[in-house]
Amino acid sequence: MISLELKKEKRTGLTAILLISGILGAAYVLVNFAIRGDSLLSMPANPMDILLTQLYGIVMVINMFAIVVATSIAYNMEYAGAAVKKMYVLPISMKKIYSSKFLIILTAFLVSVAFEGLALAWIGVNRLGPGAFRADVFLLFMLYTYITSLPVASFMLFISSLSENIWVTIGIGVGGFLSGMALVNMSDSILMMLHPFIIMFKPAVAMSARINGTVMSAAIIETVMFFIAGILGSSKKKAE
Amino acid sequence: MKEYVIETDNLTKRYKNFVSVNNLSIHIKRGSIYGFLGPNGAGKSTTMKMLLGMSKPTAGEFLIDGKRIPEERIAILKEIGSFIESPSYYPNLTGRENLEIIRKILGLKKSDVDEALEIVGLTEFGDRLVKKYSLGMKQRLGLAGALIGKPPILILDEPTNGLDPAGIHEIRNLIKRLPQMFNCTIMISSHMLSEVELLADDIGILNHGNLLFEGSLDYLRLEAGKRGYGDQNLEEMFLSMIDEDNAFRKQRAII
Repeated sequence: MISLELKKEKRTGLTAILLISGILGAAYVLVNFAIRGDSLLSMPANPMDILLTQLYGIVMVINMFAIVVATSIAYNMEYAGAAVKKMYVLPISMKKIYSSKFLIILTAFLVSVAFEGLALAWIGVNRLGPGAFRADVFLLFMLYTYITSLPVASFMLFISSLSENIWVTIGIGVGGFLSGMALVNMSDSILMMLHPFIIMFKPAVAMSARINGTVMSAAIIETVMFFIAGILGSSKKKAE
Repeated sequence: MKEYVIETDNLTKRYKNFVSVNNLSIHIKRGSIYGFLGPNGAGKSTTMKMLLGMSKPTAGEFLIDGKRIPEERIAILKEIGSFIESPSYYPNLTGRENLEIIRKILGLKKSDVDEALEIVGLTEFGDRLVKKYSLGMKQRLGLAGALIGKPPILILDEPTNGLDPAGIHEIRNLIKRLPQMFNCTIMISSHMLSEVELLADDIGILNHGNLLFEGSLDYLRLEAGKRGYGDQNLEEMFLSMIDEDNAFRKQRAII
């Protein structure tokens, strides 16, 4: 199923956009630290917190837009030539198609985060000074940023599967980004965590690289919730 | 082995206050070409969608080769090649790549892709992106997607739409040859009797979701003769049947 989905995605740029975002993010981290490294390190804070939180903001925005575009493409290719109608009349499960798309996006995004992580790790090892780089803190933070990005991927794939017009999907993504940015610092209420974009913003606005358990739990719950909604929606939606 | 490959029993599809298909009972013989006729909006496509499991019937039931949807949906879809309303394709892929996707899903041989391209006359355009195809080429690709692997049942909804006269003639000849070539049963819809007349063994005429006639073309000719249209004027017979039904409906609506 995965190989079939990869064949379908040929020339759409779906996986490429996620991988390019990872390279762009890594390049931003390296260039930014090359230019502002000294002033960043002179800040009165833990060097690991500086490394992980001060650079993550823009990286997260790049990742967010890559996720929005990739998920929009994921179902637009099914709707553009009405190919999904052919899928309905073939002996194939729409749930499996949805799951495969989800898995491909999550895997390509993981590779993208790995590129960004490599750049951060290189700076940590070479620029933070002897003994300052903590691999455990670094790995946990990377895992935290990856997991807090998943609700947006899960939500956007669900929206993409429902909407036949790619501009509606992208519009909802841009709306999510703007509202998330506006609301992320307003309150720490658990209700705010229902907004998947706010969850993705949380590590970017934190001053410490410490993991927030509530945000992490909300991210996992929402990812699963939107995935189930997408699975149910994909098997219900037919050509009627 | 049952005589009928497709049988429907009082199949009905209602959308709120609109009845698209009303108590439809059709019978399609094994190895035959069944012409499904009716004006636009008569319920032909809706019926075909129900047979393919794309739309859930409001009432009634149907059997395809003795199997039922949804219980045996996957088994049924493995046996049916279909083309519904308009061609469906991935514009980012070539014609060959599109067929390759279908081939993988159906678990067919690699050579089936080339064979399907050859049957519809697209071999030399197989490696061109589908978004660069003309409407007629997309139509042919849609047909290739239905024919790939020589399925025992074909459901074709207005397969000659968008083709030029030469293309219509070619596809018509191809469809006519298919039962012998593939040993398959074909259900083909059209709103033109003249088109179906050249292909079908049996026909079903649908209007406003109701079946007005079902039987062989010979039987239709007999009926045409009885009503004084002569056996050369089947098109007129078909139109009169539709007009008569429309007039009856109008009258009933006024009362």
